[in-house]
Amino acid sequence: MSPSAATEVAPPEGALDGPSLGPPLRALARRSSVAFRRRPGSLFPVVMPLFFAALSTASFQRATGIEGFPEVDGFLDFLLAATITQGVLFGGIQAGADMALDVQDGFFERLLATPVPRLALLLGHLAGAVAFAALQTVFFLVVLGIGGASVKAGPAGVVVLVLYGGLVALAIGGVMVGVALRTGSTEAVQGSFPLVFILLFLSSAFFPTALMSGWYRDLAEANPVSWMVDGARELVIEGWSFGAAAQALGVAAGLAALTMAFATRSLARRVRAS
Amino acid sequence: MSLAQSARVSGALALRSLRRIRRLPSAFVPSLAMPVFMAVAFTGAFRAITEVPGFPTDDAASWFVPLAALQGAAFGGIGIGLGALGDIETGFYDRLLLAPSTPAALVAGPLLAGALRALFPVTAALAVGFVTGMEVPGGPAGVVLLVAVGAAVCLMAAGWALGLAYRVRTQAAPGLMQAGLLLAFFLSTTQVPLSVMTGWLHTVARVNPMTNVFRLARQGFLGEITWHDTWPGLLVLSVGIAATTLFAYRGVARLQR
Repeated sequence: MSPSAATEVAPPEGALDGPSLGPPLRALARRSSVAFRRRPGSLFPVVMPLFFAALSTASFQRATGIEGFPEVDGFLDFLLAATITQGVLFGGIQAGADMALDVQDGFFERLLATPVPRLALLLGHLAGAVAFAALQTVFFLVVLGIGGASVKAGPAGVVVLVLYGGLVALAIGGVMVGVALRTGSTEAVQGSFPLVFILLFLSSAFFPTALMSGWYRDLAEANPVSWMVDGARELVIEGWSFGAAAQALGVAAGLAALTMAFATRSLARRVRAS
Repeated sequence: MSLAQSARVSGALALRSLRRIRRLPSAFVPSLAMPVFMAVAFTGAFRAITEVPGFPTDDAASWFVPLAALQGAAFGGIGIGLGALGDIETGFYDRLLLAPSTPAALVAGPLLAGALRALFPVTAALAVGFVTGMEVPGGPAGVVLLVAVGAAVCLMAAGWALGLAYRVRTQAAPGLMQAGLLLAFFLSTTQVPLSVMTGWLHTVARVNPMTNVFRLARQGFLGEITWHDTWPGLLVLSVGIAATTLFAYRGVARLQR
């Protein structure tokens, strides 16, 4: 069936819900998870953050002695939350790239011809990213734990960090899937990579804002990435605190809500245009 | 083919590569934006690292701007390799290989363009430094030295990238080009000097030849220029350029066969 013929039998245009969300969502989520497993590029968001964690720890270990640096056992403890955030942000880009590929090769159009609820098309893609992020977080916790890092907040802190990883994946995945649906271009999604890099660098992810100065510090303190990383970091280096957990999860959830709204609008726009 | 004819072919290829800057700004602008961002981000984020005892300067820009400049120059060289890869994929190289040219001329053209293109990112990084009040104790000679090292690093990176492009000839090549470059750079004194490093990185950076290149490039920004800090870097660049040019030459010769 040609794409144009497919759209003729599509459900009412702009519809974001359908007969039943469960089964198609499970099938699409499974497809997305399998894609993450099969793609060699999935190693990048796992290996690169670990490489940079090892590199930065060896480079900046002695910075922990600078006055104003938070009390930590080692720089790796300081970096743990940043490594999770970095890895999950990089991995989340892939969810958008997969969606763009589906649009490019016509698979998305074929899905529109079926009675699949439109929301399942979105959530299915993001479910794979969230599951991958949760696994990534556990992996980072184990590897950096072997390297000497520890979560002072204990098992409850670990659970919050895994949830945090999932929410960050949802937040970045929402943006990227939205971009994919609007542009239908994998290049456009991959081209967003530097923006993620800039957001990370202009935050407290790699160094405390207390040791920055001037406009750079102002910018880093106003960056929502700093707010969520600082919450997650407090659990790692200081111990359990409801405030820190709420800050990490709340900011990530807030960002996820915003980006999901963007993705949903982009989906409705794409469905109308098809 | 005479030397003059080879020079004409190289010149034409270099000119073509430079014209791409105007024709395809989307491919060139990132190589200009990246060093600017790196200079701003590293100087802003890691400003306090200069407070660690043993750090050779108290001005973060003097340490990180040369890094941004060299990284930008190196990625300019990778851009030359990516251009060649595009030409191979579109069949331009097939037509080029049918023309009466030598492998040396085909390699020299892009390399020449690379050395010239390096001026853009190095200038951009330096501009950030000067705007933020960077100190250059070595004076203008320090700046000139950094520009020259930038051109040499770009040549080295371009040779590496061209060699890979001629051999791999698929979209797997860019990943290899960048991975090689990132490893060479980051496993050296890119972020902090040897005296501040700890553990495994200190061991690796001490034997990584790129450490000598950074010492050469940074010396005018940290103090006076000395022969002691110059010759090891010169040696590494000479050997590196010769080796990567040979790598590219053999690659194009293989392509010709």
